[in-house]
Amino acid sequence: MATELMVPGLDGPVSDAMLKLGRFFTKWDQTDDGRAVFREGGRKGDVFYRDRWSHDKVVRSTHGVNCTGSCSWKVYVKDGIITWESQQTDYPSVGPDSPEYEPRGCPRGAAFSWYTYSPTRVRFPYARGVLVEMYREAKGRLKDPVLAWADVVTDPERRRRYQQARGKGGLVRVSWQEAIEMAAAAHTHTIKTYGPDRCSGFSPIPAMSMVSHAVGNRFIQLIGGVMTSFYDWYADLPVASPQVFGDQTDVPESGDWWDSTYLMMWGSNVPVTRTPDAHWMTEVRYRGTKVVAVSPDYADNTKFADEWLPAQAGTDAALAMAMGHVMLKEFFVDRDVPYFSNYVRQYTDLPFLVRLEEHDGGGLVPSKFLTAADLPAEAGAEDPAFRTVLFDKLTGRAVVPNGSMGFRYNESGKGKWNLDLEGVDPALSLLEVSSESAEILLPCFEDPAGAGSVLRRGVPVLRVDGHLVTTVFDLMLAQYGVGRPGLPGDWAADYDDASTPYTPAWQEEITSVPAQACIRVAREFARNAEQSKGRSMIIMGAGICQWFHGDATYRAVLSLVMLTGCMGRNGGGWAHYVGQEKTRPTTGWVSLANALDWARPPRTMIGTGYWYMHTDQWRQDGYSADALKSPLSTGSLDGMHTADTLAQSARLGWMPFYPQFDRNPLDIADEAEAAVAAGTAKDTPSYIADALKNRTLTPAIEDVDAPENWPRTLVLWRSNLFGSSAKGNEYFLRNLLGTHNNVMGKDHAEGLKPRDVKWHEKAPEGKLDLLVSADFRMTSTTLLSDIVFPAATWYEKHDLSSTDMHPFVHAFTPAIDPPWETKTDFETFHLLAEELSRQAKTHLGVRRDLVSVPLQHDTAGQVAQPGGVVRDWREPDIPAVPGQNMPVFSVVERDYTAIADKLAAVGPLADTLGFTVKNVTYKLDGALDRLSHANGVMLGGAADGRPAIDTDAKMAEAILAFSGTTNGQLAVQGFKDLEIRTGRKLADLAEGSEEKFITFAQTQAGPVPVITSPEWSGSESGGRRYSPFTINVERLKPWHTLTGRMHFFLDHDWIRDVGEALPIYRPPLDMQRLFGEPKLGPNGTKEVVVRYLTPHSKWSIHSEYQDNLLMLSLSRGGPTVWMSPADAASIEAKDNDWVECVNLNGVYVARAVVSHRMPEGVVYVYHAQERTIDVPKSEATGRRGGIHNSLTRLLVKPSHLIGGYAQLTYAFNYLGPTGNQRDNVSTIRRRSQEVQY
Amino acid sequence: MDILLWGVLPYVMMVVLVGGLIWRYRYDQFGWTTRSSQLYESKLLRIGSPVFHFGLLAVIAGHFFGLVIPMSWTKAVGMSQEFYHFNALFVGSVAGVGTLGGILLLIYRRRTTGPVFMATTRNDKLMYVVLTAAIVFGLWTTLASVFLGGEGHNYRETVSPWFRSLFIFQPDIAAMATAPFAFHLHTLVGMLLFTIWPFTRLVHAFTAPLHYLFRPYIVYRSRDKGRIAGRVVAAPVRRGWSAVGTRDRDTRNK
Repeated sequence: MATELMVPGLDGPVSDAMLKLGRFFTKWDQTDDGRAVFREGGRKGDVFYRDRWSHDKVVRSTHGVNCTGSCSWKVYVKDGIITWESQQTDYPSVGPDSPEYEPRGCPRGAAFSWYTYSPTRVRFPYARGVLVEMYREAKGRLKDPVLAWADVVTDPERRRRYQQARGKGGLVRVSWQEAIEMAAAAHTHTIKTYGPDRCSGFSPIPAMSMVSHAVGNRFIQLIGGVMTSFYDWYADLPVASPQVFGDQTDVPESGDWWDSTYLMMWGSNVPVTRTPDAHWMTEVRYRGTKVVAVSPDYADNTKFADEWLPAQAGTDAALAMAMGHVMLKEFFVDRDVPYFSNYVRQYTDLPFLVRLEEHDGGGLVPSKFLTAADLPAEAGAEDPAFRTVLFDKLTGRAVVPNGSMGFRYNESGKGKWNLDLEGVDPALSLLEVSSESAEILLPCFEDPAGAGSVLRRGVPVLRVDGHLVTTVFDLMLAQYGVGRPGLPGDWAADYDDASTPYTPAWQEEITSVPAQACIRVAREFARNAEQSKGRSMIIMGAGICQWFHGDATYRAVLSLVMLTGCMGRNGGGWAHYVGQEKTRPTTGWVSLANALDWARPPRTMIGTGYWYMHTDQWRQDGYSADALKSPLSTGSLDGMHTADTLAQSARLGWMPFYPQFDRNPLDIADEAEAAVAAGTAKDTPSYIADALKNRTLTPAIEDVDAPENWPRTLVLWRSNLFGSSAKGNEYFLRNLLGTHNNVMGKDHAEGLKPRDVKWHEKAPEGKLDLLVSADFRMTSTTLLSDIVFPAATWYEKHDLSSTDMHPFVHAFTPAIDPPWETKTDFETFHLLAEELSRQAKTHLGVRRDLVSVPLQHDTAGQVAQPGGVVRDWREPDIPAVPGQNMPVFSVVERDYTAIADKLAAVGPLADTLGFTVKNVTYKLDGALDRLSHANGVMLGGAADGRPAIDTDAKMAEAILAFSGTTNGQLAVQGFKDLEIRTGRKLADLAEGSEEKFITFAQTQAGPVPVITSPEWSGSESGGRRYSPFTINVERLKPWHTLTGRMHFFLDHDWIRDVGEALPIYRPPLDMQRLFGEPKLGPNGTKEVVVRYLTPHSKWSIHSEYQDNLLMLSLSRGGPTVWMSPADAASIEAKDNDWVECVNLNGVYVARAVVSHRMPEGVVYVYHAQERTIDVPKSEATGRRGGIHNSLTRLLVKPSHLIGGYAQLTYAFNYLGPTGNQRDNVSTIRRRSQEVQY
Repeated sequence: MDILLWGVLPYVMMVVLVGGLIWRYRYDQFGWTTRSSQLYESKLLRIGSPVFHFGLLAVIAGHFFGLVIPMSWTKAVGMSQEFYHFNALFVGSVAGVGTLGGILLLIYRRRTTGPVFMATTRNDKLMYVVLTAAIVFGLWTTLASVFLGGEGHNYRETVSPWFRSLFIFQPDIAAMATAPFAFHLHTLVGMLLFTIWPFTRLVHAFTAPLHYLFRPYIVYRSRDKGRIAGRVVAAPVRRGWSAVGTRDRDTRNK
């Protein structure tokens, strides 16, 4: 009886009784609690499931492009069919005191194999039907592919006919042979007629399939074409990174979050956008780390946070400035924290001296850094204008410390380019050494409309050789409004002073984050950094990066981690995760991709500038640079249209622009060399400079709409330009492709037209002769393409993957051969190269090409333009000097008949010049020798005897062989070279790995950790987690900036004139003022004007997976717009109602997702919802209602165009104008619920 | 004609029903399902499905009472024809109306809920027509007796004896032939329903998991035991492999 009572019943007496009844009829063996029964047999059904989950082999691969996860996957194959995939679990261990990287992956990756056999798979080559018919007819007549192509595209009537068919179906199956022939002919014709710089290509994010990216990039560069950038184009590139660090996106691996003791997520929705890494963030909380989220909506990551700061969209800089205010006041002024003050003295520009000058309107303003050029005692120093100065307290005079850029590129700087202060004790504030002070004026942009005002503040000053100077630190206190006794000017009374920028109370009125919360988090963040020696971290993301003024916001946030000594510390500093593409074996990839082994320099282009001009978005850009400038501007941007700023930037050698000139560069090279031979010109560059100066040669950008300056061919692979990244999609459709579109706005009225860029009364439509894409699925891009190549998926080829989220390199391996008629990108570009080489025999031959490139970062081009002063050679009395105040001109020989041979082998420049990255040259003798044996050499042709890279696996091998991160010998050699320049010990960081040589086979066996290398700024030696700039901090290696330190202060003319010399808050653009869009908020007529944001989605990686059946089932699917209940109520829309979003740029039709997660006044249209899924016709235009990018447009910020000056110097994907899209607004209304397709 | 309808057809129906079920079970076990649409719509289903199914149970019970139990037996226990008829009429109407209401609600739901309608096959549509017809005609036989006045036709003297006679392979065709048209119709539609039964979703009726109510929640099934070289093993052993096995629950104490 007692035992009976002890047995717990199930649900109650009734179920007990029924069970008892059951037992009465059947005897069974059961558990004591009666919950489980044991039976024998009855498992015949197992057979089915055993068969269902059986497989023949498992292959290691991953997913390429646009996902930064770089997760290794097992792909299962059965009977030659890919059946499913699952996560790999064999990542090398992180160590005993930490969670591990495995398993990595998310539902999106797990849904990938659906694509292999999906209805959306591109199985055969396709071409636009009308084009094919016309081409076949012409070829039948002319018997030559190039002549036939020319015949079709030069006839305006036939040209318009196929252009207007773009995007309207009509793709027909063609043979590979014919598709390749047409594509090659278009290129040959363009090179011959207009020049190779009218051919362009786009393929993003190389790290996640380096070979596929490199092979196409290599093809484009070998023919002299233009590769447009992606990082800045995506607005993922933080311009603040070059501005502050002189380096682009060097960030910690996610395992380093585990080292953090205070973690902020600022505009980064980690669980959604960094899904495989999010576990580190949740796990570190169990270690006691406080997690704070800053996000305008109740984002998925906020639920993991201990504290949520809901700053209004786009106002984050105000919050950051107020936090900086608290930190400066409590940790620098009220109390000296030795860890902080020593850190900023050695690693930041805070102690450096800045000259104060009288502004035209009266009053002192900070102007430029004091440099050796200003000091008579330093006369004779090399590159004096790049040797910045600080005040030594010990000797009581201004001194030039080691490490600034003036020590990087000359003989006298050898061994001195380091951060060793050598006994100098820098004065952080001049209050320490001077009793003199002065009132200064600083710009401020607190007005929501964006207009500037002037703040009066005071700084301690000193006279050095006749120059009135103060320190950057004193300017920072002035900027943040942190007062000290005895200084003139207006200061914040206390934290509650809401009328003075940048107090906590002031920010509350802008961001709606309570002042108390702002103060608390700022204090905790700094206090934690003080106690942990810099282990406070900020994960930063697209939510704050992708705004027009994202660079200003980033600088305000970065100031927090710099002031508190967190940069270059494990577990601390910035962690920028937006579209990062850390190609860890970077030297091999960048050199092979740009064919630097055959010819230098390559033509690389800033994507935003390229598309802004060539899609004629500039013709509808409603404002000039005046709208942005500082009230204290000195006039360098006055009256300039944004197109003018691009033109000036290009002609001063700051940013690239292609096409280069109004004539074919092949012909220009011939002209120039003829002139040199005839003795009428000194050399080719000066011939070009003279021609430009006397206007016999015109930069193409200055008449960008003239037919000879149009881009003619565009090759897209691994990319979905027209479904995903093309901001101003409708302008692309209209002006570039010449097909139907929904552009609503009008071209400029009189008065807003540019000064330097020629205005054509009617904008050209249909500039592009040929759009080619290679993809494995049908996208918006393939639907608009003239030729579509069927591509292999990520499970059907060899390739390499790496990321900055983890420290491993691992492989793609084909699980099956490419099915149907699909081919790998590698094979496609080789076919294209072979056909082009054949056609070149009759049409091109060997030509000389004049290549114009801007001044390059990490080269002596950084010291070309002292002081960051604009010296435009268009002014009559300023000479035009190539490589100084204009681009660098060089002549490259192109043997167009040998493109295919060169594509398949490593060229001779690898032997003679080596490969250079970040000014460190890797000597490749050993690596080349090894590669020749591993890969074999080519026999015959232009590449006879050269190491073979004629298969994708061999190219992967070459990438690994030529990079320090994967070839220990190169890492050691690179560090040894760097030791000579810095005079600091570095080689020991890699010496333990000198014998280590990572092969492609190793990456196929499992993820392999990379070797510490000078290609990057962090150290993995001894198994530590990668954190950027640890080498700089620990080994005193300078940052690649003007001062060699991290910068708070920037002194370029344009930066000063937009008022951003110091960290600052700038409100989101006022689209009403700039473009005449309606005012934000409901307007009483069942319409509401809202901020239109396109953040990253939970159910897709950009456009990929948004069409995947499995992911469609997990989400609502099809076009949606997320809005708050209040906004939905104001237009009387219920959840799932159809609504229409409209602005000047276009229209987007979607279903409303009404959610309490959304703040009022903001809608989310998740990136990227494209035209392949459920896009109905719009009521606004009657045509198909657009994609997420139909409502965006390109907005170019002039200060992103700066070049030729210290860290503000161009390099591909390092610096360039961002294709930001977050400042947009849209009018939304509920539409008829009856939609038509 | 009567012979064909009431003497042959019932057996044809039985053969198709039984043969069809065996065929379906052998060749389409994975199709042996209701293809539940609860995932797409649950609000109406929550009401419609129980009303229909419990109504149907009552209807089946009524058919059993009326067809299987001879009139003489009920008389023997003292139940008057009036009492029986009133009961059959009252309970039968409630059950019938419930069943009909239930299925109409389910059909309404199936037609108006997009995803559910998308998941409806032609087979389903045919089945719904026949099933609804059977219910409607059945209800008509019951209600007709009310509206036509009197006590109506006493099917226990015509249909029921015929029904019972089928099972002893001596069909009382004459008794059935005298039943009114409404009963003929209902019976024919009923037979049609049973004929298509094995080929529709209705097969789920035969696998209603009633035993779930009478067993513990969790069932652990070990493999069928085989025997090799005198040892009990848990899986078929292939030629050339010697059994290794692990100590498990069955052998740990031995």
